[in-house]
Amino acid sequence: MNFMAMREKLREWGLRCWATLRRSPSDRDLKRELEAHLVLASEELQRRGHSPREAARLARAQSGGLDQAMERLYDQRGLPWLGRFALDVKLGFRMLRKYWGLTLVAGLAMTVAMSIGAVVTTILDSIGGGVLPLVEGDRIVAIQTWDAASRSRRSTAPADYERWRDSLASLEDVGAFRAVQRDLIVEAGATRAITVAEITASGFRLTRVNPLIGRSLVANDERVDAEPVIVIGYDAWQSQFGGDAAILGRNVQLDGVTHSIVGVMPEGFGFPVNHRFWAALRGNPSRYMSEAGPEDFVVFGRLVPGVALEAAEVELTSIGLSSSSVGERTTEQLRPRILPYAAAFVGEGILLFPVIQFFLVLLLIPPCANIAILIYGRTVSRQEEFATRFALGASRTRIVAQLFIEVLVLAAVAATVALILARTLGWYLHGEIVRRGNSLPFWMDFSLSLKTVVFVGILALFAATVSGLLPAIQATGRQMQAGLRSFSSRAGPRLGATWTCLVIIQIALCLAILPSAVELAWGNIRPGMLGPGFATEEFLTARLGINSAATPTSLNPDSDGLATRFADVQRDLVRRLRAEPEIREVATAAALPATDSARVGIDGIPAQVGPVPIVQTNYVDGAFFQLFDLPIMTGRRFSAGDFERESDAVIVNRSFVERVFGTDEVLGRRIRYLEIRGERRSTAASDSELEYEIVGVVGDMDTNARIPEVYHPAVPGRLHPLRLAMRVNGDLAAATDRLREIAATLDPNLTIDDIRTLDDIYRQRALGNNLGAFAIVAACLSVIILSAAGIYAMMSFTVNQRRREIGIRSALGAQPRHMLRGIFSKALRQVVAGVVVGLAASMLLRWYWPAEDAGGWPVPGILPAAAIFMSMVGLLAAAGPARRALRVQPTEALRDGT
Amino acid sequence: LDLMILQTLSSMGPRHGYSIAARLEQVSHGALRPNMGTLYPGLMRLEQRGLIAAEWGRTENNREARFYSITAAGRRHLRTEKESWDRMASIVHALFGEAT
Repeated sequence: MNFMAMREKLREWGLRCWATLRRSPSDRDLKRELEAHLVLASEELQRRGHSPREAARLARAQSGGLDQAMERLYDQRGLPWLGRFALDVKLGFRMLRKYWGLTLVAGLAMTVAMSIGAVVTTILDSIGGGVLPLVEGDRIVAIQTWDAASRSRRSTAPADYERWRDSLASLEDVGAFRAVQRDLIVEAGATRAITVAEITASGFRLTRVNPLIGRSLVANDERVDAEPVIVIGYDAWQSQFGGDAAILGRNVQLDGVTHSIVGVMPEGFGFPVNHRFWAALRGNPSRYMSEAGPEDFVVFGRLVPGVALEAAEVELTSIGLSSSSVGERTTEQLRPRILPYAAAFVGEGILLFPVIQFFLVLLLIPPCANIAILIYGRTVSRQEEFATRFALGASRTRIVAQLFIEVLVLAAVAATVALILARTLGWYLHGEIVRRGNSLPFWMDFSLSLKTVVFVGILALFAATVSGLLPAIQATGRQMQAGLRSFSSRAGPRLGATWTCLVIIQIALCLAILPSAVELAWGNIRPGMLGPGFATEEFLTARLGINSAATPTSLNPDSDGLATRFADVQRDLVRRLRAEPEIREVATAAALPATDSARVGIDGIPAQVGPVPIVQTNYVDGAFFQLFDLPIMTGRRFSAGDFERESDAVIVNRSFVERVFGTDEVLGRRIRYLEIRGERRSTAASDSELEYEIVGVVGDMDTNARIPEVYHPAVPGRLHPLRLAMRVNGDLAAATDRLREIAATLDPNLTIDDIRTLDDIYRQRALGNNLGAFAIVAACLSVIILSAAGIYAMMSFTVNQRRREIGIRSALGAQPRHMLRGIFSKALRQVVAGVVVGLAASMLLRWYWPAEDAGGWPVPGILPAAAIFMSMVGLLAAAGPARRALRVQPTEALRDGT
Repeated sequence: LDLMILQTLSSMGPRHGYSIAARLEQVSHGALRPNMGTLYPGLMRLEQRGLIAAEWGRTENNREARFYSITAAGRRHLRTEKESWDRMASIVHALFGEAT
């Protein structure tokens, strides 16, 4: 087909699509034209000598019937199949209303599964697939030095950065930034800890965003001898400077260095991540890059027009790393790599996204299999309708298409609800995160992307195929074979072993996961409902660090000078705070609550035997247990000697003793870490060869969470940054001010930020937990409802099949009790089989993967309770159809069956 | 049918549906007598493809009718199709000539 013909065809199809919706030309115009034709034909015949009446008759005979012509015109005007589709959709909606029970059950199940898919995809897409909301934001990239062996980022060497910046032809505006904490003082006002993006001037060129007032950074600002300048964001301009129109030229102090404000960026601008203050990276790269670890320093650039990411990657590989960077490693092992900007902040987890999405599709299979049972039951119950249509000439394809569209309508409704839920949850999450004072990267807003919509669309199609198409094909296949026989015989289609197995699997699956899910949900909700069991609102916490040009994230034991300095400042600060009347106690720890976790191995027990408990680890000072009123239950506290060097003494909590050992004889036992997750606060703890001796047991800090914890002694100066916690008697705001004042007098480089009450921290944790619990409960509910619906459908179907038999038996005087037993026996067999398999699966699951490991809370007797509950659900679902069977009137059943 | 309609409009100018049908019957000596169920969907198809245009008007006898005229795209289409038809006809003709 040449271009011209194709264009003509496209035009025709476009107009026909439009006409399907708008009926243009109108029916009236079409009829008017045909009637005009008949009049002209009649006149011509009259001219040839026919009477008017005869002429009119002949004209109609020669020109063909008006109605047939109109039908042909309708077909040509629009798209008949589209019209049929619209009719099927309309019918689909009617069926949703007619079978409202099925609609509710199937719709809920589909909605839950699709919502999980939509929410997870939205979050994943926001995190890793985000395109920067900047001009051609998809062309902004990051460059990293990549260690293929350990699959991790390495520090970029200054020489490499300079080579990339100067040589890469496929990138423009190559630059770099690092985020640093600084104390901001505005004209002798209060000190405020802020995050400043120290960035090359190319970063602003790259964004193509003009400042609202003044200028952004320029190349001259990067000179060592240049006057220090700062650019501020719109929010900071409003909140810190009251939107002062004469802001340009005003001075602020950043860690005691005067900076002049030269510009204000527009509202919403947050490049490179979520920054509101920008200062120049001054000097040459070898000066500032040697100060930063891999997490702190990011190199970026923009693909030049017409160059693809792959081409830039090829060029970058050809430039490679300098020989000094590679060292003894091969260029395959250590190499530069280029990736979309947002992806650079996600890590290797991004590679798992397609796998996660695949599992989200799999998640749909169990609910859809159940819905398929229900749809199958409904389809075969409509056998007479389809047999009639088949007899009247409808093809099997047409009937299957209609059934498929009926389910597609349901899936489409579920998909729409899922998308609305995902969007609402996205808004809520974003709002909550911002409300709690945290900030997200500026490209992350959890909005629905096209990718999410397409993914959910695919889920809907998949769900409709499994739930609608397969049962429709099977049911109509039998239908075609049975044909009109069903009118004269009751020997219709039967539910085969496949469906019976599906119901059994469903009950078993439900029972397998129900106890763990209940414990998990309860474990998630409980701490939020009951709190951690102590007065968290009395505790003020802050992140404590020391701002130095040479401060790594974890102090190196070799840099003793810095460690000693930090230890001194820390000791002085704690001493001064304790002297304050409103502060009852002060302590320090690596994190609060503990954030690092590890799989723990016990002495003498090989790691391969049985599940390995997961525990949380923390490093604490000597006052920690006193601060939180944690009594020593057995053994001893940390001694002064434990804090002088890397000691192998550890103290564990009561939950650790109960869950890891199960016996009180723990003093002197040795443990080791098999796998550590978290920030690895100490190099020693990451070594699986090291063993630690339990010297004491304390009570649980969070008495409602039952988290096994291991406490290590924190050697002063070795943790950086660390968490300071103090118990305050009076006003928290006053205590906060006092903390800042004391810190400022001790060392100008001491940074105090992220000041929050422990209550805030626990509340934030409860938000995530509640969301998790909600998802678990929703998923479980949908599975249980589906199981019940599956059994109900099966029983309903069986009763309908045996209607005649029941009628005869009833007529012959059978006892209702006996008939009930006969009807129930099938359901009972399925329920018992499902419960037995489910109990075994549940015990296996709970042995291999205790819910407590994932934050669950044990519920006594949950296993038998779940078994009884599922049996009740199964029998109740069967009760309705059984009751209907007992009401079968012998005369009606026999009459229907003839 | 499409080509015959286009050729009729091209050679005779704007015509209403009945007139086109009458012309086809005339040139085919009664062999072709398209009824309304064939003719008008064909006209609608050509109009949807932009090959003809239509507007309501009045006949010589002051009767209301819809008049069709060929568009520039229609003329191009007709020319192309005629060339193709001629080529095919000459091939068939040559084949039949050879056979006899």
